[in-house]
Amino acid sequence: MQVADQENQAPQQQTTAVHAYNPEVLQDMLPVYYRRLFPHLPFYRWLSYGSSEDAIFSNREISFTLPDDIYIRYLCFDTQAELEKEICSRNPIKIDIGPVMHTKPKNHRSIPGGLTPVQRELVFDIDMTDYDDVRTCCSGAEVCLKCWKFMVLAARVLDVALREDFGFEHIIWIFSGRRGIHCWVCDHQARHLDARGRYAVAEYLNIITYANFSGTNSPRCAMGERPHHSLKRALKIVEPMFEEVILEDQNLFGTPKGVTKLLNMVHDDAARGELESYLQKNLEDGAHSRLIWESFNKYASSMRTSTANAWSRKLKNIVSEVQLGLLYPRLDINVTRGFNHLLKAPFCIHPATGKVCVPFSVSAVAKFDPTTVPTITQLLHEINAFDDKSKSYMEAPEDKSRIKDHKKTSMFKGVVVFEEFLRKLERNQKSASLQF
Amino acid sequence: MEFGLKKRARHEVKVEVASLETKYPHNVMLYHYPPTEDVHIDEFEELALERLRLLRVLDRASNRNQRLLSDEWKENVSADLTREGLRSYLRLCSAGGSTKHEADIQTRRRDYLSHFILRLAYCRSEDLARWFVAREMELFRYKFAALSSAEVKQFLEANGFEIHPLSEAQKDEVKDGLYESTAGQSVAKIELLDFYKVPFTQVLDLVRGRRCYLKAGFAYVNTHDLVSLVGTKQQDEIEQGLQAAKTMVDDVEADERISRTLKALHNSYTGRDYTVCRDAAIPIESLDQLSKTSMPLCMRMCHEHIRAQHHIKHNGRMQYGLFIKGIGVTLEDSLRFWREEFTKKMDADKFARSYEYNIYHNYGKKGSMVNYTPYSCAKIIKDATGPGDCHGCPYKYMDQGSLKTKLSSYGLSASAVDEVMSFVSRGHYQIACGKYFQITHNSTVEPTIIHPNNYFEESQITMGNRQKRTNGPALPKARIKDIKGHGDRSMLMGEDDDELWRIAETQERIMQSQKDISEAFNDDLDLTQIDY
Repeated sequence: MQVADQENQAPQQQTTAVHAYNPEVLQDMLPVYYRRLFPHLPFYRWLSYGSSEDAIFSNREISFTLPDDIYIRYLCFDTQAELEKEICSRNPIKIDIGPVMHTKPKNHRSIPGGLTPVQRELVFDIDMTDYDDVRTCCSGAEVCLKCWKFMVLAARVLDVALREDFGFEHIIWIFSGRRGIHCWVCDHQARHLDARGRYAVAEYLNIITYANFSGTNSPRCAMGERPHHSLKRALKIVEPMFEEVILEDQNLFGTPKGVTKLLNMVHDDAARGELESYLQKNLEDGAHSRLIWESFNKYASSMRTSTANAWSRKLKNIVSEVQLGLLYPRLDINVTRGFNHLLKAPFCIHPATGKVCVPFSVSAVAKFDPTTVPTITQLLHEINAFDDKSKSYMEAPEDKSRIKDHKKTSMFKGVVVFEEFLRKLERNQKSASLQF
Repeated sequence: MEFGLKKRARHEVKVEVASLETKYPHNVMLYHYPPTEDVHIDEFEELALERLRLLRVLDRASNRNQRLLSDEWKENVSADLTREGLRSYLRLCSAGGSTKHEADIQTRRRDYLSHFILRLAYCRSEDLARWFVAREMELFRYKFAALSSAEVKQFLEANGFEIHPLSEAQKDEVKDGLYESTAGQSVAKIELLDFYKVPFTQVLDLVRGRRCYLKAGFAYVNTHDLVSLVGTKQQDEIEQGLQAAKTMVDDVEADERISRTLKALHNSYTGRDYTVCRDAAIPIESLDQLSKTSMPLCMRMCHEHIRAQHHIKHNGRMQYGLFIKGIGVTLEDSLRFWREEFTKKMDADKFARSYEYNIYHNYGKKGSMVNYTPYSCAKIIKDATGPGDCHGCPYKYMDQGSLKTKLSSYGLSASAVDEVMSFVSRGHYQIACGKYFQITHNSTVEPTIIHPNNYFEESQITMGNRQKRTNGPALPKARIKDIKGHGDRSMLMGEDDDELWRIAETQERIMQSQKDISEAFNDDLDLTQIDY
């Protein structure tokens, strides 16, 4: 149902090109954005968790980044009104969310022994730059629809693992505004995991290791004799997309350098040499990835069935290992491990792109297009256009119209996803409190 | 815990054994209740030092990079324990966990008391606590591994673990998952084993290693893996115990006799942590030269990476930055070094904003004001490396082909390369590093490398020596200081003297080698001509 909603609310995309974002005027636009568009109330509803625990909102560390890289940490707010007032008066370029501390973080200087975090969402950060060695379409900060598919797979694999294996339900996914995605797991148990627990979950989900090959790192994923169910499930998600993403879109093995990448993933020196000469003999340089992959598959399976050798033991699962190695989510596990790590809040504006950090629904992640995520410039034009058309803004009292402003814009669906997440979270809290 | 001074009369011992039997019924205990009996001050000290020697045996084993509880590991530990005169503890870690031999019961008592004494010594800093917890957990696992499955059940009952195996029907429901995801057991075995369903947070190390089936927040654990459940509980117990000990430590230390013991213990551990270089100042101009002669491979790679790329990622900055601090590069020099390199790729402003803080931080001048300790081999080997990283232990993270190329590019002969590689392929990274040292220093002794800074120091000493007396006797070896216990208090002073003597000795050598290096510099190149 959620998916259908998003479809219907297709934004006016033609405006994107017309109103290009200019980073220099961001400071002038932010006051309007925070006053009229930022979803203050849902934001508060999220972080207060229905006030289910003592001081859960007021002891939360929030930090602001102001112009000229002025970074203010250890802020905290008692009420929604106070937070909203502060955001609207300071107009931060970026808002970060830290842990809930044992006491008010703003008193951090006067507390003997310093602040101790008591709870914090379990967070994941996946950055497109970690995929630079497997994408040929863009590099660095750029992102296009082709490379977004890596994020699609990452979100799907992680989301299902968190739900099925760990039993987490309240998971919100956020587009980070430029090239990555964030995931916040907000279940009670996830928020209360200690450092060791976070480390264990992060390691459980982090299957990729890197082996150094003459200066370049080659991803590795060891599946072992009997692959763990989580790896098998990940493979089921990744495998159907492998041809499209790696072979067609990226044509990753289409150059001699690309073939080396494939070879480097074969973790046996002798076998790698054999494969290399086999490929050289049978294919010419620059053959399409599809052909390379077919030959590789054929060779691996023929070697596996012939006699006992590295291919039938150590490299038994090599085909699957390459698929997972290239497409399994590449986590920045330090973000997940850290109890104290600050992470950018949803609905911030990314200062370089002007794009809103919008939540998205995992079930519709394939339809999410990072290149058409609304920029602040576009949003402001959209409200103006709407106001001009209806003239309601001038006549209606400001308070009323403000609540609904985001509905006039293409930010709408992001807020809907967020509210859907909140509704489930709050329903859960209600039923939990009824049990007592 | 009470610290009295009542001296036990000899004839009471027998009576005590009877009560001890109920107090310490089993080799494996959770250290839940602090002991309340009176302990004589001499014994207190003796127990503390005995425990320290015990834990150091385990520390050495983990530094050898052998898998915990592997045959190799066990062999080493048991030989080491025997050498240290701790055979009685070896009995604690072998089968027959609930014997009623008097000697065994006495050992259990010593084990129990000494654990609580060391809590007092190791609660005072995070680093100490981490070391202590890691060693204690190794000891616990060693002891627990000796239990039979009947004994495990008995242990669980005795310690209030209320868990029950799944019924056949329950097991049947999840059997596919169990077959797929239970590590270390064959399918046939899984059919027969009892499984327990526990919240995943109780068996974190199984979760971390993907060694059990996990569904909806519950882990399915078989009898053999229950050690993880008990271990998690034990670790919580010790960590909480350390927190509690922290609050008591002031009271306890009001007694000067006790505080002296506890502090000596603490110092005897931190004596060689390389946080502050006491020996000499190293000018950054000599780093290029030193990287070739005296740095282990891991640091040389970092150094070359910085010189070539003018940038290095965070973990690399930590690893290399702390290392050069440890060898004696001053804060000012360090700042200059990083700035000169980084500003080839970015403007000075960005450097000041993004990187300077980190350097001050490492030297304990900003933030938490902790003077950070350079990384040891154990930490470097454990560090995970990602794309574009250059930190970590090259013997571990580099593939063998490129490692070979690297080594021969550093001037090792083919046979020397093979010799080093033979250790690498068996996973003995530190021994490989020692071999590399021996070859590059043309030395007769192969030092035990446990810390990059100790590699550097050894190298400086060796080079100093070579210049001074060409065919001198055996080269000085880094001594791992051992403390002798048995309540001999004079040895505490002896230890200090020893330390002073060692510092003086090293200083002399380093100064000599400094002179040699600078002479070498004068010969080869004019410092003013170096273009950074």
